[in-house]
Amino acid sequence: MSKLRTGHIVEVAFWLLLVLFFFVYSFEFNQDIEIYKYGAAMWPRAILLLIAIAAIGQLLDQRRNGDRSSSNTMAKAHEDSAQESDNSSLGWYVSTFILLAIPFIYMVLPEKAASLMSVTDIAPGEAGIGRVKIICAAVLFAIYLMFSWRNHVGAILALPIFFAALLEDMGFYALAPVFIVGIMILMGERRINRMAMIMPFLYGLLMLFFVKLLYVGLPTGNVRPFYDFGNWVVTLLQ
Amino acid sequence: METFNNFLGGTAALFGDPMGVLIFFGGVIGGMLFGAIPGVSMLTLAAILLPFTAHLSAEHGIMLFSVIYCTGVYGGAITAILFNIPGAPENAPTAFDGYPMTLQGKAGKAVGAAVMCSAIGGVVSCIIMMIATAPIADWAISAFGPPEIFALVFFGLAVAASVGAKTFWKGWLSIMIGLMIAVVGLDPVGGIERYNFDMPYLAAGIHFIPTILGFFAVSEIFVQAEKKATGSYTAPKLSVDFPTFKELWAHKIAVVRSIIIGFFCGILPGIGATLAAFMGYNEAARWSKDRMEFGKGKLEGVISSETANNAATGAAMIPLLALGLPGGALTAMMVGVFQMHDMEPGPLVFINSPDLVWVVFAAMFFANVSILLVGFLEAKTIVNLLRIPFQFLAPMILLLATVGAYAVRGLTIDVVVMFVAGVAGFFLRRSGYSVAGIVLGLILGKIGEQTFAQAMQMLHFEFTGFFNRPIALGLLIAGALTILGSIYGAFFKKQPVPASDN
Repeated sequence: MSKLRTGHIVEVAFWLLLVLFFFVYSFEFNQDIEIYKYGAAMWPRAILLLIAIAAIGQLLDQRRNGDRSSSNTMAKAHEDSAQESDNSSLGWYVSTFILLAIPFIYMVLPEKAASLMSVTDIAPGEAGIGRVKIICAAVLFAIYLMFSWRNHVGAILALPIFFAALLEDMGFYALAPVFIVGIMILMGERRINRMAMIMPFLYGLLMLFFVKLLYVGLPTGNVRPFYDFGNWVVTLLQ
Repeated sequence: METFNNFLGGTAALFGDPMGVLIFFGGVIGGMLFGAIPGVSMLTLAAILLPFTAHLSAEHGIMLFSVIYCTGVYGGAITAILFNIPGAPENAPTAFDGYPMTLQGKAGKAVGAAVMCSAIGGVVSCIIMMIATAPIADWAISAFGPPEIFALVFFGLAVAASVGAKTFWKGWLSIMIGLMIAVVGLDPVGGIERYNFDMPYLAAGIHFIPTILGFFAVSEIFVQAEKKATGSYTAPKLSVDFPTFKELWAHKIAVVRSIIIGFFCGILPGIGATLAAFMGYNEAARWSKDRMEFGKGKLEGVISSETANNAATGAAMIPLLALGLPGGALTAMMVGVFQMHDMEPGPLVFINSPDLVWVVFAAMFFANVSILLVGFLEAKTIVNLLRIPFQFLAPMILLLATVGAYAVRGLTIDVVVMFVAGVAGFFLRRSGYSVAGIVLGLILGKIGEQTFAQAMQMLHFEFTGFFNRPIALGLLIAGALTILGSIYGAFFKKQPVPASDN
């Protein structure tokens, strides 16, 4: 009797669609190499074939054994493999997807918005694009807060990517304190005095070790006033 | 006798030079600390230090990296045991049993076993390295060509597929994901760009350091964060109760077996400590009477994995110094140190710079000895990291990982890649896939493709050529049998009820 669930079929469909996409794209670089008759596409296509076989094998296995499908002796009990979670409703996935999309929207939005608003000084570091970037970041952050209100886990997943997407423009030095406090709040910390003590301690420790001791050049950003703040911290420490 | 005299000469040169002593102890402590701080690894430290070695002599630069290598491989076990965050891929199997031991309040026993076995594996490996470098290098040169290395990569991946994931199929898929990530960038034969999606960043390929940091450190933070958000987080229990001599002696056979496995895996270029640790663990489970206990907090799991990965460190120096072939990420950075000093690692190093070779050998020997001395003291301190509430530790780990990912190439996009890998790792782990398998596929993917291409060119594109090479054929058959055995188990064996369901 079949023990398949919709989730199993979605999982296999995902892998097979991925295989199809990458297989079609492999024609973009399917060029001959004079000294190697298999060309550049043979190796990735062989991997794609193995992915397809494994995905179908997984489906057949789940059809026979359900969620308790076959496992090797060692992995069976080990916790790393399967973290079951309550956060698996369709609504949760949609809201998480929106949260995760926000940083990627930021990566393309300022340039598009600047061209729509006919901003002329669009070279990195110039004031016009800088203002547009700050406005875009603020609007997207507000949307992030709106969605993170009901989806803590999605918010935790998205915040570091948002932080990374802003690094180039706003710099590590200005963003790190906000990031530290943000993660602490999302992890459930509510005591303001504790956060007020821990944040400067962690920030100071990082700055002293990497900037003062090891002279690691962290991104200062290219949007004022974040750029000025980053440079001020570096000058202060070095 | 000549070996012993050379070793004494290397020791005298190492400790007779105050700058050398300073660098040695800096490397010992730095490797242990960076290995043990969750979210960063010895690779982070090595990446940060790489540009600065230009200001050191070649001898000091290589010695510093070799010391970091030995102590960092051990240090990574601490985070694997305490936080389920392996400091490097070679510590991944240590987490399989080490972390459940921490959850059971036996962190001290696991850390103590890691200290002892890392030191034993490393010291024995160093002694064999010093005695046998020349003959083993000669054997490897003649017996191991691209077909054998490809066959070994295949065998390694086949074994790894059966470790770490919820099912064999998911283990296999995990490895394939890693192999596909390794495909992005230039093809190793013709230099043709693959899957770059017209993005200049992807033309150079996805760097393994941000990917490793993402899949291991970041995804672990996300998993713990989800547990905190859903109220199912369990703080690890604190303990500094080290294992007794009797407990360790009971696993003497596992130690010897892991030393042998570790050394032979380490000596082969590109394979190194990662496969050694996986195979050491796998064999321990295969030979054990209570194999079902593996993965639930069995001391033998930690012992076999940690002995094997440190046994590989000495052996990994042989292909590097004798053939100029790096065995892994850190030895690849050592090639960079050589090049910064206008030197090429390879047989000529033994002729032109014998002093350098023996100082490095002596430094590695004493670095492993110091794991035993400093390791116990350090472990007692590091175990106290468990006292820090996770909401304060998490931002620190994420920021350290950010600095580590950024420091490699100075690109903020590497930080984005790391966090995206972290999110991908989080969802894959929820679905029962293995992040260790992905990382192994990523690291061995490039080597596998390169050696396959070289092998096919050597064999005039005839697959039957493998039949004339017994070592390659044996490894291919062993790999195929491992896969077939797992498939047979998947379809025809009655499935026992997993412990977690009871």
